[in-house]
Amino acid sequence: MGKSFNTIQFHADRCDGCGDCMTACAQAKAGTDDLAQSRIRIVPAGGGVYELALCRQCGDPKCVMNCPSGALTKNAATGVIDWDWGKCVNCLLCTVGCAYAGIVFEAEVGHVTKCDTCDGDPACVKVCPHGALEYKTVAGIFNEYGDKEDLFAPGLSACQGCNSELLIRHTLRKVGPETVVAAPPGCIPGMGTVGYNGKTGCKVPIFHPLLTNTASMLAGLKKQYNRMGRDVTMLALAGDGGTADVGFQSLSGAAERNDQMLFVCVDNEGYMNTGMQASGATSFGSWTSTTPVGSAMKGKSTEAKNLPVVMMMHNCSYVATASTAFLEDYYAKLEKAIEASKHGMAYLHVYAPCPTGWRFSSAMTTQVCRMQVLSNFVTLWEFEPGRGLRFTHPVDRPRTIEEYLKLIGKYKHLEPEQVAHIRKSVHDKVAFLKRFAAADAAAAAG
Amino acid sequence: MSKISNSSRVIVCDGNEAAALGVGLARPDVVAVYPITPQSSLVEYVSQMIADGRLQAELMNVEGEHSVMSALQGAALAGGRTYTATSGPGLAFMFEPYIRAPGLRLPMVASLVTRDLLTPQCVWGGQQDAMSVREAGWIQIYCETVQEVLDTIVMAYKIAEHHDVMLPVNVCHDGNYLSYGVSRVELPDQAEVDAFLGPRDVNWHVALDPARPMAVDPLTGGAGGGGPAMFVKYRKGLCNGMQNALRVISEVHAEWGERFGRFHAPLVEEYSLDGADYALVTIGSMTGAAKDAVDAAREAGEKVGLIKVKTFRPFPVEALSAAFAKVKAVGIVDRAVSFGWNSGPVYQESLGALYRTGRHIPAISFIGGLAGADITAEHFARIIETTAKAVTGAVPDGPVWVNENDQ
Repeated sequence: MGKSFNTIQFHADRCDGCGDCMTACAQAKAGTDDLAQSRIRIVPAGGGVYELALCRQCGDPKCVMNCPSGALTKNAATGVIDWDWGKCVNCLLCTVGCAYAGIVFEAEVGHVTKCDTCDGDPACVKVCPHGALEYKTVAGIFNEYGDKEDLFAPGLSACQGCNSELLIRHTLRKVGPETVVAAPPGCIPGMGTVGYNGKTGCKVPIFHPLLTNTASMLAGLKKQYNRMGRDVTMLALAGDGGTADVGFQSLSGAAERNDQMLFVCVDNEGYMNTGMQASGATSFGSWTSTTPVGSAMKGKSTEAKNLPVVMMMHNCSYVATASTAFLEDYYAKLEKAIEASKHGMAYLHVYAPCPTGWRFSSAMTTQVCRMQVLSNFVTLWEFEPGRGLRFTHPVDRPRTIEEYLKLIGKYKHLEPEQVAHIRKSVHDKVAFLKRFAAADAAAAAG
Repeated sequence: MSKISNSSRVIVCDGNEAAALGVGLARPDVVAVYPITPQSSLVEYVSQMIADGRLQAELMNVEGEHSVMSALQGAALAGGRTYTATSGPGLAFMFEPYIRAPGLRLPMVASLVTRDLLTPQCVWGGQQDAMSVREAGWIQIYCETVQEVLDTIVMAYKIAEHHDVMLPVNVCHDGNYLSYGVSRVELPDQAEVDAFLGPRDVNWHVALDPARPMAVDPLTGGAGGGGPAMFVKYRKGLCNGMQNALRVISEVHAEWGERFGRFHAPLVEEYSLDGADYALVTIGSMTGAAKDAVDAAREAGEKVGLIKVKTFRPFPVEALSAAFAKVKAVGIVDRAVSFGWNSGPVYQESLGALYRTGRHIPAISFIGGLAGADITAEHFARIIETTAKAVTGAVPDGPVWVNENDQ
């Protein structure tokens, strides 16, 4: 597994060209306000848009390849391209190699300079008033997960652009081999995780429960393993139908008993594996094959069941929502959920926009996932007994709901009043959760 | 005649308690319960045994029969010996996971405290629930007495876990008449039962165990290729296990008799059949009253015998054919209805066994004991009377509804 490194991310859409980053860099690196000595440069690209000239600390650095004297090296520990003045011959071939203007000759000092990320604490990021610069520290997590064995077989056949395969592979890497996996009928076994005709798709024990009994089968398994004194984790990878609809009774019973398991609901808002029929988790207005659009019907006429809230009310050991566009958030929750599953029911509700069933390009999945969160269409939160509900990625200035809806084909028929309905229900849902969070925060404050 | 094993105790209890005591002796690992009339006192007894530490099992109070069967399948796949009991609508609700246990070849044991099915709304005995699942792939054994309930529960584990069988077993006892009927019961010694059953042997062939990773129940079949052939292999294996069970049930009953002195007929019991011109065919607790009626008729000179079906799944074709070969007419008494055949299900299935004999003797379907009705010795006297006439060819057109005119 290759190694990932921390890096500085630039959000061009948030940059107004104020230049505070350049000032901070010049100060930090040269002790001057002379912007010419900044190693980060914000460059106007016309139309009020800015671009970034900054070392990307490339994984395949052309500057290093061009350097004839060994003055530039890729640091294996930090990933930063280190420059050594003692070896540099000032040939400037490095500047020719770089496509990002990340290493440039600086006349004031008489040699090239480049970003060294301030040893992992970049001054530019700290001063950016708009969050246009972000120091991404998820590399450590990716490295940790990358070093763990992928316990699913290669070659699962999920649809192009599906985020569920990413999700289940990463989840099982972390949960580990002492696990029994339940994959009720749906996309997850549909992509081959349980296998076909005597062949398995997984390196740990895996089975098809019925669509209806995932939680109760795992509960019985766990009882027997506990009786035998063996610590085996019970992991459900279920769709929203097997969780919110026919699977709900057994889940509710197991939650009431606080049976020890990690139940992951991968919510793609319907029965996507069998032809995009509506489920109790299908959102209002959605086109599905059983809530079609015609002269008499305009998609689903009722709201989605808010299952994570329902699970929270069961007083589980841990409940959280998650999005694959915010994996850092998911990993933190997964760790908590695994720990909680040793004592009781841990429930993770992960949103899984479906390019095939929702009608959007397979390249857009992460964009749709991100916009779900940024528009507050879904909210990222966690619930822990005694601590209550807490937003983990609050969005106080959400994008408009139209920005989210327009990305997705299943909403393209929506009438203005349907959009207004969704806008209101999103607002109400967030307000409802905020009341919980505020009450829990107040209780914690005492 | 039975002898009392030196270490046995004699107690008095009803069938539900006898079943619970049998469960205690079989020492299951996991018991999942959900109450339903007329099974409730059974799972209450088992729960109390666990609460008192007399049975060291995991007790799961789950939210319905569907989860009862599901949780127990999970426990079995982890290697646990399991038990539950249900009745009527509870069995109907359990049906989805219930029909899966045979295909997974899980050697589970569950009591069916038989009850008539809705509708009309009814909480009383009848065998419509058990008869409705006769093609689910479970072994079905019907008990006649309270003692037989206890003994058969224990034997059921040995039958189910036999490597030639590996199928779940329903021990059926009649709601009301056996569930609440009190009788003298010999309670075998725990050590002797332990020696009889041996260690649990549940998931050697299919397991959800990180130490033996495998996919349990991947998709099997599809158009073309080897998939459907693999499916056939599983189906055929299940049918073979069922047929093997005929032999294993007989062997286990024989061993039980040797060890504990009570020899219950394993498949079919022939009662007073020597010299009989015709016979009644019975199933379950009605047999007691039927035997009394046969005895009385014999004393009056009637050449009547009785054939009791104990094992209904697998259907004991050979044993039943052998018994039918001895008589010239049969009156087959059911406690359930075969809606499609306008008869009782035991009657309908017996026709297949009769076909095997190559003799088309007259056979009458009697349907009685529905919704808790008693089939008394007087009822059986009339059944004998009607069947006697069949020997000379007087066969009623359609089934005889035994309790139709009860007041």
